[in-house]
Amino acid sequence: MLLKVEQLSTHLNTRAKRVKAVEDVSFEIDRGETFCLVGESGSGKSITALSIMQLLPADICSHPSGRILFDHRHDDGRIESVDILQQSESSLQTIRGARIAMIFQEPMTSLNPVFTIGEQITEALQLHRPETSLREARERAIDALRQVQIPSPELKVDEFPHRLSGGQRQRAMIAMAMACEPDLLIADEPTTALDVTVQAEILRLMKELQTKTGAGILLITHDFGVVAQMADRLAVMQHGRIVESGPASQLIRQPQHPYTQKLLASLPENLPKADRKSSKSAKVVVEVQNLEVHFPVKKGLFRRTVDHVRAVDGVDLTVKAGQILALVGESGCGKTTLGRAILRLTEPTGGKVMFEGTDITAMQRRHMQSFRRSMQVVFQDPLSSLNPRLTIATALIEPMQAHGIGADKDERIARAEQLLQQVQLTADSLWRYPHQFSGGQRQRIGIARALSVDPTFIVCDEVTSALDVSVQAEILQLLLELRDERDLALLFITHNIGVVEYLSDEMAVMLDGRIVERGKTADVISSPQADYTKKLLAAVPRVKF
Amino acid sequence: MADSIDPSQGFARRVLRDTFARTSARIGLAWITLLLLFAVFAPFLANSHPLLISQGGQLSSPLLAHLSPGDVALLGAFLLGVGLAFVSKLSWIKRIALYVIAVLAISITANLFITPPKLTIYEQYREAQKIERYDWVIRAPIPYSPRDYQRDEGDTGLEQPLAAEQRRHWMGTEANGADLFSRMIHASRIALGIGFVATGIAMFIGVIIGGLMGYFSGWVDMVGMRLVEIFEAVPTLFLLLTFVAFFGRSLYIMMVIIGITSWSGYARYIRAEFLRLRQQEYVQAAIACGLPLRSILFRHMLPNGIAPILVAASFGVASAILAEAVLSFLGLGLVDEPSWGQMLNQAVQSSSFYWWMAFFPGGAIFFTVFAYNLMGEALRDAIDPHTHNGG
Repeated sequence: MLLKVEQLSTHLNTRAKRVKAVEDVSFEIDRGETFCLVGESGSGKSITALSIMQLLPADICSHPSGRILFDHRHDDGRIESVDILQQSESSLQTIRGARIAMIFQEPMTSLNPVFTIGEQITEALQLHRPETSLREARERAIDALRQVQIPSPELKVDEFPHRLSGGQRQRAMIAMAMACEPDLLIADEPTTALDVTVQAEILRLMKELQTKTGAGILLITHDFGVVAQMADRLAVMQHGRIVESGPASQLIRQPQHPYTQKLLASLPENLPKADRKSSKSAKVVVEVQNLEVHFPVKKGLFRRTVDHVRAVDGVDLTVKAGQILALVGESGCGKTTLGRAILRLTEPTGGKVMFEGTDITAMQRRHMQSFRRSMQVVFQDPLSSLNPRLTIATALIEPMQAHGIGADKDERIARAEQLLQQVQLTADSLWRYPHQFSGGQRQRIGIARALSVDPTFIVCDEVTSALDVSVQAEILQLLLELRDERDLALLFITHNIGVVEYLSDEMAVMLDGRIVERGKTADVISSPQADYTKKLLAAVPRVKF
Repeated sequence: MADSIDPSQGFARRVLRDTFARTSARIGLAWITLLLLFAVFAPFLANSHPLLISQGGQLSSPLLAHLSPGDVALLGAFLLGVGLAFVSKLSWIKRIALYVIAVLAISITANLFITPPKLTIYEQYREAQKIERYDWVIRAPIPYSPRDYQRDEGDTGLEQPLAAEQRRHWMGTEANGADLFSRMIHASRIALGIGFVATGIAMFIGVIIGGLMGYFSGWVDMVGMRLVEIFEAVPTLFLLLTFVAFFGRSLYIMMVIIGITSWSGYARYIRAEFLRLRQQEYVQAAIACGLPLRSILFRHMLPNGIAPILVAASFGVASAILAEAVLSFLGLGLVDEPSWGQMLNQAVQSSSFYWWMAFFPGGAIFFTVFAYNLMGEALRDAIDPHTHNGG
């Protein structure tokens, strides 16, 4: 066994309380094996990884029980089984980086922006192998970059991190981790911040490197699609404990524990599709004609406009009442800008937006106010979508007041209570502040705020991408219910194909500010026409065996 | 999850309660309150005019007779403030409006109807007491006015605390022979006034200009930034010098000039905050909900962007006090009015060091600046909802 974790407990002690982050966790990883830890946020999976690396601050963390046995391969080839929890800091340094390497979620912040890629790789190399000369270390750094398939590694080795794309940065991170040929690679959500097509490449790369070096991989993720693709064995964590573990194929096909069953059932592709009655009226609510949003690029002393960034470049769309149109695309394709331009939160530079037959593109601010009532938006980030200084009551009542809904304060409060009921929150939530709610609850409040002015059209901008799968399932079901109840037209912006399949009636695929494919969701998914759509759909990791 | 919050409690009230739940903020507040009491009751605490004398069976109060219109207005404003804070059940806005109107009325009437005698002779009471002309006398706790140079005591000057046997000077005397404690008490008026008013002016201008710059950006931001740069290039000291030359030495002009030359810092802070906040999703949501501009600016953006301003303001009050001290030190301050900076100036003269002239005013400046910083810090934490109620 390469790594054997036995009854590990990790407690985090803050001033006020003691958090049992990891309780009684046991698992094993063999050489050449990929072991996945799956769980929702706060389940203790990252803390487990950090405990193995001993990267938690010593003054707040303690291990009341457990052992972490690791086969430490010394430089002379001797293999000794050591308990990581008993090691001194200096002997940990010979293990960390050299024998156990780690890659993190956010490639933006895990590379030091003031050093070149090459310097960061050679530093790790020289630290663990002091006999390596500078020239040799540089050669090996270029080799490592070549291994992770970064184009022209001889040039990229001297680049600073900000000159690389997100995917390339994650490749560089992997190159750094693999440069010292570790026996165990711990990857903490390595692809969560990346687009699906990039994710597919990175996952393929990790598999290739594993077969080449025979390293064991501990992969931490929340995404069952990734698990299905990568894992040999997996363990499901909840509240700091492993609730179920076993071979991946078996566990995904026949989950035993109710929590695992619930998690798998929450995946958008597994959600029961309700038969929905077709919309009462097929009235066109929003019609977008040849919409353009170009941002000027200004340069020089006089800030002359030298070029334009074409964020949205000639888009046509229609959304009908009672219909959900999904807008799919990878990061930077302009889908969020398009959503904002339709609401005129960003001013369009060309084209037209027709709302219920009225052109609102050039409308004056004063007239626009009355249209705002009918067009609402729900945002991605549940942390920043509510004003932290205002109670939920104020957040819900203020828009009503601005549009003259409800006669007096009492009536508005009654309405706000009703809205909260509709999004399945209790009425006493009214007098709380946003930070007292969980992410999913805040997203419900965001929806309630959008509904407070009785809109006919709502833009949902990545509303579920910051949420756990089980919460995501609840929110998606809620949106469907509300749509049926109120005959809403929804523009659902997302990058998650599973969600699109479950939720939408029609979909549009966006690339570089243009729509490359449009049609009924079922048709597009089953027989994509555009090359990009084909590539996108092929990259989506699916839970199928 | 933490407890729900009582809906009847406003934001301001909750913030105030949380601010002063802290010991450090309470200490700061206690010091500032003490200074405020000193400032308001200065004539009753330190005055050469006796509070009450009985001369041949007739009672009279020279102290009351010599009160200036300013003293009376200050007293009236203070008592009115205390009264309104405890008695009235009006709303905040109404209370503040009522207060401002009443204070204006009081100061105007005081200026019209109160005319203290032009000529004041401080020595007469001491001389009269020596030859036992009075039946009995009640004097202020510190029986010296700030400008009582005690010419009757002969050649007085800088004297150590409690050096003279017959006269009791708790903090010694200054260069002209006036009691230092008395001057310290009266100087707290200038320190408090210049701190509050100058910072108030600077914050008011800074928040408005910075807020507009940050919210509208584009050409408003361009014009605003140039304005900020112009005001940052104006040397405060030379401007003050010029104004002193043209309009004479006036406390009010000093306040206004310190105010209008120091708003640029606040404007920069608020602008940066607003630029950041404008991209926040709750502000976007507020725009999407069609809320009026006033609400977006003052309900959704300002309370979330005010925290750095309040911390800056606590330093601003401190630096306004220091600015006044510097001016007085350079001899540009008020001529005869006591001020802490002017007293510090006398600490080192002709190569001797008079420790009491440095220790007491320096200590007062230090504690005042420190108190504002403590309160600013507590205020910042109270405004941030993440620091209380757990998360």
